[in-house]
Amino acid sequence: MVTFNDAVADLLGVDGFSPLVEFIVGIVGASIVVSVMLTIIGISAVWLKRKWNARLGDRIAVNRIGPAGLMVMPADALKLFSKEVVVPEDVDRIGYKLAPMLAAATVLAAFAFIPFGSGLQIADPETGLIFALAFASLSAVPVVMAGYSSKNKYSFLGFEREVAQAIAYEIPLVVSALAVVPLVAVFADTSAPLRMSNVVTAQQGPLLGVTGLPIPNWFIFAQPVAAVLFFVSILAEFSRNPFDLPEAGSELVAGYLTEYGGVNFVLLFLAEFAAIYFGGALFTALFLGGGSGPVLPAVVWFLGKTFVFYLVVQWFRATIPRVRIDQLLEFGWKYLLELTFLNLLLTAGILWVVL
Amino acid sequence: MMGVLRSLGVTAKHALKGDTFTVEYPDESPGISPRFRGTHKFSLSRCIWCRMCEEVCPNGTIDIKTNEKREGEEYNLNLGQCIYCRLCEEVCPVDAIILTQHFELNAGTKAELEYNMDDLMDVPWYKGMDPLEAREPDRGAWIGTDEEDDVWETAESTYAD
Amino acid sequence: MSVVTRRHEELHETIEDELPDAILDFDEHHNAPAVVANPSRVDDVVRILKQNGYNHLSSVSAVEYDNRYESVYHLRRITDDREDFDEINVVAPADPDEPAVETVSDVFKGANWHEREAYDLMGIRYDNHPDMRRILLPETWKGHPLRDEYDVDQPQYTTLEAHANPIEERYEVENDAALDTMFLNIGPHHPATHGVLHLKTVLDGEVVVDVDPDIGYLHRCEEYLCERLDYKYQIMPYPDRWDYVSAGMLNEMAYARCIEDLAEIDVPEYAQVIRVLAQELSRIAAHMLAVGTFALDIYGELNVIFMYAFKDREIVQEMLEDLSGQRLMFNYLRLGGVAYDLPEPRDEWFGKIRGFLDDLPGKMDEYRSLLEGNELLRKRAEGTGILEPETAKEYGCTGPVLRGSGVGYDVREVDPYGYYDELDWDVVTYDGCDNLSRVLVRLGEVEESARLVEQCVDILESWDGDREIQSRVPRSITPPAETENYTAVEGAKGELGIHIVSDGTEKPHRFKIRSPCFSNLAVFSELAEGEYLADMIATLGSLDLVFGEVDR
Ligand code: SF4
Ligand code: SF4
Repeated sequence: MVTFNDAVADLLGVDGFSPLVEFIVGIVGASIVVSVMLTIIGISAVWLKRKWNARLGDRIAVNRIGPAGLMVMPADALKLFSKEVVVPEDVDRIGYKLAPMLAAATVLAAFAFIPFGSGLQIADPETGLIFALAFASLSAVPVVMAGYSSKNKYSFLGFEREVAQAIAYEIPLVVSALAVVPLVAVFADTSAPLRMSNVVTAQQGPLLGVTGLPIPNWFIFAQPVAAVLFFVSILAEFSRNPFDLPEAGSELVAGYLTEYGGVNFVLLFLAEFAAIYFGGALFTALFLGGGSGPVLPAVVWFLGKTFVFYLVVQWFRATIPRVRIDQLLEFGWKYLLELTFLNLLLTAGILWVVL
Repeated sequence: MMGVLRSLGVTAKHALKGDTFTVEYPDESPGISPRFRGTHKFSLSRCIWCRMCEEVCPNGTIDIKTNEKREGEEYNLNLGQCIYCRLCEEVCPVDAIILTQHFELNAGTKAELEYNMDDLMDVPWYKGMDPLEAREPDRGAWIGTDEEDDVWETAESTYAD
Repeated sequence: MSVVTRRHEELHETIEDELPDAILDFDEHHNAPAVVANPSRVDDVVRILKQNGYNHLSSVSAVEYDNRYESVYHLRRITDDREDFDEINVVAPADPDEPAVETVSDVFKGANWHEREAYDLMGIRYDNHPDMRRILLPETWKGHPLRDEYDVDQPQYTTLEAHANPIEERYEVENDAALDTMFLNIGPHHPATHGVLHLKTVLDGEVVVDVDPDIGYLHRCEEYLCERLDYKYQIMPYPDRWDYVSAGMLNEMAYARCIEDLAEIDVPEYAQVIRVLAQELSRIAAHMLAVGTFALDIYGELNVIFMYAFKDREIVQEMLEDLSGQRLMFNYLRLGGVAYDLPEPRDEWFGKIRGFLDDLPGKMDEYRSLLEGNELLRKRAEGTGILEPETAKEYGCTGPVLRGSGVGYDVREVDPYGYYDELDWDVVTYDGCDNLSRVLVRLGEVEESARLVEQCVDILESWDGDREIQSRVPRSITPPAETENYTAVEGAKGELGIHIVSDGTEKPHRFKIRSPCFSNLAVFSELAEGEYLADMIATLGSLDLVFGEVDR
C-alpha cells in the first residue's frame, strides 16, 4: 500500500517529486480526502441520520425538498451559515472562537492517516496508528475549550464530564487497538506493524484455519473481544450513546454546545459527526479489513463499512439509554481497562506459544 | 446484556418493517372524524336571535347586539378566543350555529379573527357550502341515530325562558 | 349502624375528650362529617385524626365568607381494606380581617404546599409555617386573587429591583464549604421539565444537594375561571385544560362526580358504561405519554420508545376524536350522562377498539423488553428516586407514584364511582419505590385499562335496552347555599379532587381543584436530594407531571 503522493508519482511515471511539488500534491490529496469526508458527513449528519432514525421510530422524516429529501442538505447548510453569529457577552472570546475551528481541524487532520484504499492515504508514517489515536484523543481539547470559555453552567458540566470520560476511556481505546498489532506483525510479516497500511494489508488474506471458506482475515474475527472493547471505547471517546454525557440533551440542554450558534455551531457539529466517521474509519481499518472486498474498488468498500458503522451507532442511540456519570467511570476504570489489558496479554501469550 | 440485545432486536424489527404513521399533511388530509369540532358556520336566515348561544358560551366568543324590538343587529364571533367546546351548537334551538369540520384557520393579527355578520357570510370555509343548507343539517352524521329529539329537547328545556 | 358511622361517633368522643377547647362545633358536609376547629389549635385536631387512621391529607382549601375565612382540610383514610375507607373534613374558621390559622405542615408535610397556595390565592396566613411564601404567583404580586375584593384589573407593576435575584439570600456563600457547590437554574425552559417548571438546584459536583421547585409559570387561575361559570354547561370544557395531555375525560369525570353527587343527579347505566370506556381510553393515552416522556428523559432525544408510545397513543386519540369530536379538549361528559352516543357506524368503531386491544399485548411486550428488560435502563432506573411509602403518604402522593411505592390506593377501588364496581379489574402496585416501579405501574395500568375497555365494549355491543345517554337534568342547577362537597376520582396522575362550596346560585362560590400532580411534585425534593443530576431528571420524568394541572 502506498500514500497518495506515491500513487500520483507512479501514475506520472516519475521516481519522486521535488519538495515543492510534493507539498502541492499533498495539498491536493488532503483536499480530496477532506471533500470526500465533508460530503459524507453532510449526507449522514443532515440526511441519513434523520432518515435512519425515522425508520427506527416508524416515521418518514425529510422528504419534501428534492428527491427523498436529499436537498435538505444544501438547505440546512444555507440556513446554518446565514444565521447571525451571536457571541454571548461574558464568554472568553479567544477560547470560544478557537474551539470550533480546532474541533473541526483536529478531526479532519486525523483522516490523513486513514488508508482509504485505492491509493487514497495522505500520510503513512511508521507510527500511523499511534498518530491516529493521538488525534482521536485531541478531540477532547476543543470540547474543554468550548465548555470552559462559554461561561455557562451547563457547558461547564458538559466539559467536566468530557474530561472525566476522555481520561477514563483513553487507555482502553489505545490498549484495545494495540491488541491487533501483534497480529499485524505476524500476518503482514512486517517490522512496522503500527503503519496503517500494514494493518490493512495484514487483513487481506483469508482467515487461518478456515482457508476453504471465504471468511476474510478481518481482525473482527481474529480478535472479536478486542473489537467489542474497541467499539465501546470509541463510543465513549467520541461521546456517542450510551455515553453521550457531555451533551446529554435532556439533562444539560446541549452541554458544551449550549452557547453556540450559527457558523460556530456548524463547525462543532461537523466535528462531532466527523468524529463518528473517524471512529468508523479506525474501526474499519483495524477490524473490518479496511478496503478489502470483492469487485468494487477498495475505497468504496472502505466508505461503505464506515457508513455501516455509523448506522450501528445511530441504532444504539435510538435504543440504549444513557448511563450515569458514575456508572460510566466505574465501567471504564473497573472493567474496560482490565479487560483490554487482559486481552492484550492473552493475545501476546497465545502468539508466543503458537509461534 | 441479553436484554440490551433484545432491545436492539425490537428496534431493528421496526426498522425492517418500515411501517410509518406520519400523516403527510397537507398533501394528505388528516383523518377528521365526522364529529370534529372546527370553525363555525352561522346561518343568518335561521337565527331567531334568542341569544342562548351567547349566554352559554363560556368565554364571550359570541357577541350579539339586538335592537329594542329584540331583532338582531349584530352577530360577532371572535374566533381567536373560541375554545371549540360546541356548547353554542348544543343549545341553539334552530341549528343556526354549527361547528364544521374545517380546522385550517390562520390570521396575521388577533383582530383578523373577529368576524361580524357580513364577514361570516363569506369566510373561506363556507365555500362550496350553502349556509341555507343548515335548514336540514345532517345531524345524524355526528350525533348518531335517533338522538335528535333528545338533543333538541335538552337544548330547549335548558335555556328557554 | 355502619362501621364508618360508628367510627365517627367514637371519633367525636375522642376528640371532645382529648381536646375540649380545640373544638368549636361539629358540622356535616355533603361528603363527610366536618369538625370545626379552633384555628389556633387545628394542628392538634388534625394530629389526633391522623393518629386515628386518617393518614392522607387530600387537600387544603380556603373559602371566603361574608364574616369569616375558612381553611378546610380533607382527610382520608387509606388502608388495604376497602371497607375501611373513610373521609373527614376539618374546618378552621379565621378572622375576616386578619385571617390566620395554625399550620398543619408539621403533621402532614404535604400541607406545606397546600397552605402556601391558600395563602397565595386567598391570603390566609398560616402561623408557624416553615416557608410562608407565595407559590403560584410571583413573590411581588399584590393582592390575593380569589378574594372577593380583589380587583382583577389592578395593574401589577414590578420594578426591576423587586426582582433582583430573589435567591441571593438563600444560597449566599456562608463558608468555604459552600464554595464547592454550584447553583444551577434548571428551567423554566429546559428540555426535561416537560413544561414550565423551574428547579433551583444546588449541585455538589454532579450530586444534587438541594432542590427547590418553583411553580406557577402556567397558572391561569382555573379555580377563579370556574367560579364565574355555571354548573350545568359552562364549567365542563375547562377540566380538559387542567391535565391537558389526553387525560381530559378523567378530569371531566372529577367535575361530573362532584356536582352529580351534590345535586343528586342520576346517570343512566348506558351512559355510565360509555363514561368508563371513554375514561379508560383516556388513561391509556395519558400513560402512554408518560412512559414515552420518561424514556425521553433517560435516553435523550431521538429515542424510539417515545415514538412508539406516541404512535400507540395516536390510535387511542383517534378513537377519542371519533367519540367526542376533539382530540384533547373533549368536552364530552355532561352532568347526568354524556354528550353524544357512540359514533356511527358503531361496529366499525368497536372494530377499531378491538383491533387496538388485540395488538396491545404485542406492543406491551415490546415496551417491556425495551424498558424492563434492558439492563442498562434497569441500572439507571432501579434504586433511584426512592420514595418510601411513609413519605409518600405524608406528602399526599397518589396515583402511580404512590402505587409504585406499594400502596394500593386507587380511588376507583376504595371509593368506587360510576360503573367501575361492576367491572373486573385489579389495582396495579409495585413495591420497588423507585423510578422503574413507577413506570412499570403505568405499563400495568395500561393493561388493566385495556381490560376495562374490553369489558365495556362487550357490554355496549350487546346492549339491547334503551340507549339513554343523559338523564333529565333540571334546567338550572342550584345546590342550596353553603353546602360543601369534596369528591375525587382517579385521574391519570392520581386523586383528582374537586371541592365545591355553593352559595345557592347556579355558579359555585368556591371551586377548589385538588391536583394530584401538585402533591406529587411537592415530594420531589425528598426524592432528588442526594441523587445524581441525571437521576434527578429521570425522577422528574417518573413523576409524570403536567404543568397545566400543577399550576392550574
Ligand atoms: S364553541 Fe364554545 S367557545 Fe366557541 S363560540 Fe361556541 S360556545 Fe363559545
Ligand atoms: S342560539 Fe342559535 S338562534 Fe339563538 S341567537 Fe344563537 S345562533 Fe341565533
